[in-house]
Amino acid sequence: MPPFDTLNPTWMVWDNPAPAREEAVLEYTRELEKFLAEIERRAFRMAQVALRDPDDAMDVVQDTMLKLARNYASKPSNEWRPLFYRILENGIRDLQRRRAVRKRVMTWLPGAKEDPDNEAQDPLESVADASPAIPEVLMRDQAMVQLEDSLRSLPARQREAFMLRNFEGLDVAETASAMGCSEGSVKTHYSRAVHTLREKLGEVW
Amino acid sequence: MNEPTSVQPRSPLEDRSRALFNDSVEGLDFAVRSRLTQARHAAVEAAAAAERRPRWFSRAGILAPAGVTAAAILGAVLWLGSPLGHHAVTVADGQPNLDDLEMVASTDEGAGDALDMLQDDIEFYDWADKAANSGSAT
Repeated sequence: MPPFDTLNPTWMVWDNPAPAREEAVLEYTRELEKFLAEIERRAFRMAQVALRDPDDAMDVVQDTMLKLARNYASKPSNEWRPLFYRILENGIRDLQRRRAVRKRVMTWLPGAKEDPDNEAQDPLESVADASPAIPEVLMRDQAMVQLEDSLRSLPARQREAFMLRNFEGLDVAETASAMGCSEGSVKTHYSRAVHTLREKLGEVW
Repeated sequence: MNEPTSVQPRSPLEDRSRALFNDSVEGLDFAVRSRLTQARHAAVEAAAAAERRPRWFSRAGILAPAGVTAAAILGAVLWLGSPLGHHAVTVADGQPNLDDLEMVASTDEGAGDALDMLQDDIEFYDWADKAANSGSAT
């Protein structure tokens, strides 16, 4: 039997992994953090455009980050972006489906005609800002509101294709991977989305 | 950030909508940024914890049912190989040991009487057989 001090006990100790492995973990968590920091705000805005409600958007983005970190962080980092957006779009779709079911149930229930998502707005929100605003900023905000409304009116797949390709700058293959469809479908959805948006916004812009 | 690699030139609508989106991202308020940062830290912690976990731990979900199945098979083999199991099988097959049968027969008094009666009737059956033969001959 070998003397005890020649045994390497590192494999038996759970909280003290080998230094090389610990370094690798640190390296890859650093990379993951950098990736998430780059993407989180844009992802939040995309979710907010689709869902309108900022709290719902935040929930979906948080879930997406956790799912990517727990299940797919070991994948090569160049695959993270399409994976992230795939999880995000699935989360958005799930939430929209749940909302639709809830809305249907609420219409059946007597005395519950109001959708909880469309709560009465705070009257203070509609009061004009007293601070002097630059006309350009106002116009830009207004244009963004119109753009968001038009994007929400698009079919979900067209909206996804437009946002991923145009806002996020994914190429056709990455967008297809994120949407779980063929590259041909991405091109079709994108082209239709641009066409519809041009029809809707052409007069205003 | 990748640029879309479309062959067609970008339209003003695409350019303007992208610029508006970028502006809206930059204009996110502090509270939202703070919540996103917290979510990011939680996600990174989760990834680090998953990576530090021993490899076999993540496979426990597969190994546990396999271990239970192996234990069940071993138990069945041991049970069938034991004397108790062996005895049970022979009785179930309808082939009890002959020694056991003799023991039962020897202790059964009724069985002994039946054999004696059979011995007494042998003479009667012999006479009946002869009478039948002689009758048919005549």
